Amino acid sequence: MITVKKEQSLQEKLHILADAAKYDVACTSSGSDRRGKTGFLGNAAAAGICHSFSGDGRCISLLKILYSNECIYDCRYCVSRRSNDRPRATFTPVEICRLTMEFYRRNYIEGLFLSSGVCQSPEYTMEKIYETVRLLRTRFHFNGYIHVKAIPNAPEELLTLTGFLVDRMSINMELPTEESLKKLAPHKSFRSIFQPMKQIAGGIMTSRLSSGKSPTLDRHRSNQYLSGSIFNRKALEDSTVSPSDAPRGFDLSLKKEQTPFIPAGQSTQMIIGAAPENDFLLLQTAQTLYRRFDLKRVFYSAYIPVNEDPMLPPPDTAVPLLREHRLYQADWLLRFYGFQAEELLSPDRPNFNPLLDPKCDWALRHLEHFPIEINQAPFETLMRVPGIGSKSALRIVNARRFGALDFTHLKKIGVVLKRAKYFITCSGAMMYRIPMEEKFITRQLTGEEYQANWDISHPQTYHQMTLFETGGFSV
Amino acid sequence: MNVLTCADDFGSMMTCIYEAYACRLGHRSIRLELEPILQPELFCQYRQVDFDEKKAAAVIRSIQEKISWEAWQLVYRAAMSWQPHRLDCIYRFLLLGFHFGASVTDMLQHPAVSGLFALSRNVMNEAHYFREFIRFSSAKEKFLVSHIEPKCNILTLVAPHFSDRMPSEYWMIIDDTRNIAAVQPADEPFYLTSVTEEEMLRLKQAEKEDGITVLWKEFFHSISISQRASARRQRTMLPVWYRRHMPEFHE
Repeated sequence: MITVKKEQSLQEKLHILADAAKYDVACTSSGSDRRGKTGFLGNAAAAGICHSFSGDGRCISLLKILYSNECIYDCRYCVSRRSNDRPRATFTPVEICRLTMEFYRRNYIEGLFLSSGVCQSPEYTMEKIYETVRLLRTRFHFNGYIHVKAIPNAPEELLTLTGFLVDRMSINMELPTEESLKKLAPHKSFRSIFQPMKQIAGGIMTSRLSSGKSPTLDRHRSNQYLSGSIFNRKALEDSTVSPSDAPRGFDLSLKKEQTPFIPAGQSTQMIIGAAPENDFLLLQTAQTLYRRFDLKRVFYSAYIPVNEDPMLPPPDTAVPLLREHRLYQADWLLRFYGFQAEELLSPDRPNFNPLLDPKCDWALRHLEHFPIEINQAPFETLMRVPGIGSKSALRIVNARRFGALDFTHLKKIGVVLKRAKYFITCSGAMMYRIPMEEKFITRQLTGEEYQANWDISHPQTYHQMTLFETGGFSV
Repeated sequence: MNVLTCADDFGSMMTCIYEAYACRLGHRSIRLELEPILQPELFCQYRQVDFDEKKAAAVIRSIQEKISWEAWQLVYRAAMSWQPHRLDCIYRFLLLGFHFGASVTDMLQHPAVSGLFALSRNVMNEAHYFREFIRFSSAKEKFLVSHIEPKCNILTLVAPHFSDRMPSEYWMIIDDTRNIAAVQPADEPFYLTSVTEEEMLRLKQAEKEDGITVLWKEFFHSISISQRASARRQRTMLPVWYRRHMPEFHE
């Protein structure tokens, strides 16, 4: 590779390296709860805080940048791959620290998200990332959120050292099968991804146990009432991680350091639509990752064609935004609602229904459970009703101890009656005379959701209204 | 109907509630309203209540002790709303609260409770948005200034967040619509103060173009993916009226 070097201003570097980082989806600042300290800058809120929303409607929570995009690898789907002719830049650690501090003071960001192309070698890149984070924590007294990417094949000791300084660490899985990985990211292998993932999980577990916490991460409180939850104790028995998996040098550091190891847990990301995997496989992979490695989040990234390559979909392929949306909906059902991947999809129906959200779709296939009585149904059953979320289910359970609830109360509590009305009764009566027929309810629901689904899959186009609108599809 | 009126601040509201109990006219024949009263009604007796520190403190103490801390938070947050009927809502809620005790906050089927709950939820949502979207600018490299124009009076709800976050910075958040400010000198607790016109002018001279803003705008535009662009989604997540003081939306 020939590089033409020229002095770049900080603004130019920021442009190049933010532009290269934008395809990474994880931009959450959640999972850590930390009070501020005198003399330091920053705290962390468990729910995470978004600070702005970019032109594509995605949240900007962290200063998401690459340390460098001078990558030595040639992954086919990646913009920064070696064979692409693009402007290249590399920050210095101090520049990153300055930017983070100044942005944070002005309440622009919630912290730093530092990723990098593999610059010179994995060891060198990881060392630079570690140096940046160490400077930020020690010299600049930054106490806010930090998320770093672990570079595959980096030495374990560096992983350990970095882990005690950051809130979250992630390793991108990118593709759920070994063969797609081999085809599209020839420098990565399942081993190089799962090995550090397991080490990080072991480290987190040891660190939690040594500070008197439970071995697994804290999940949303509604999970403790859901017997089918993927996080309940029985499910966690198939976890393969043990404290002995912690990365090298961990025991020594643990005694020295006062801070917890990666308190906000680890996350990963999978690309949707670059390889032929179906939704069922993706969702099952996510579920396995949650159970085996106690991952905090799995992110899904709709594949955006940036490179022309015979192995990849052609550059004019539409971005599968609706598919990505459905996967996120299903992911929420796994983590908050006590669903399991096998309930939502099966080998016979491996993909999500584009017309209906996964919860409605599940409810329509299980009409024998409905309608349920709001004033008597257990919490677990309430959570399965489309239009009722964990907040409103908790409010219902609390409020009905003091008297019967009817539909006007439900509306005020926050239940989405547009969807829920087909599946519930209040004191024995439904809201309207609704026949419990699958076809009828499907027609009603798809009619109402049609516009919303169109908006998601066609973000930029305009929709012409007609008098004779039927939606143009058959159910 | 007897109408008790009071000034639009939290202390007066609490005094007004004290008086509503003390005047013993029967709860059904009393209504509480906030000044200014633009359109007086016929067949109503209006009585103005002035702020009294002891009476207000008594009401606050009994809410905290006889109902619950949660109810107190609900009342305080609802009082910060912009809606004109909020004082009467609080009063109706307290009537129930003093009868049922701590469990009142769960009784969402009662209109008085759900009314207050809706007000409080609205205030907290707005406060959360401002926690996200407040922007500081550095004036003379010495202190950080932020201007907000919220609908609800959320200053006291967001200031503790920034006080925890930036304990060793000198910052101030100024509510331009109400002319009040939360100010925190470095390493000291924050305080509320009113801002005069003269002080506003002096501040304006101190605030000049902040060099970092350019970098922030650069980042903001670079991070967006053009293939996914959707102004509608952006508007849903970040409504336009919040953007007034956000530099990334200014040319």
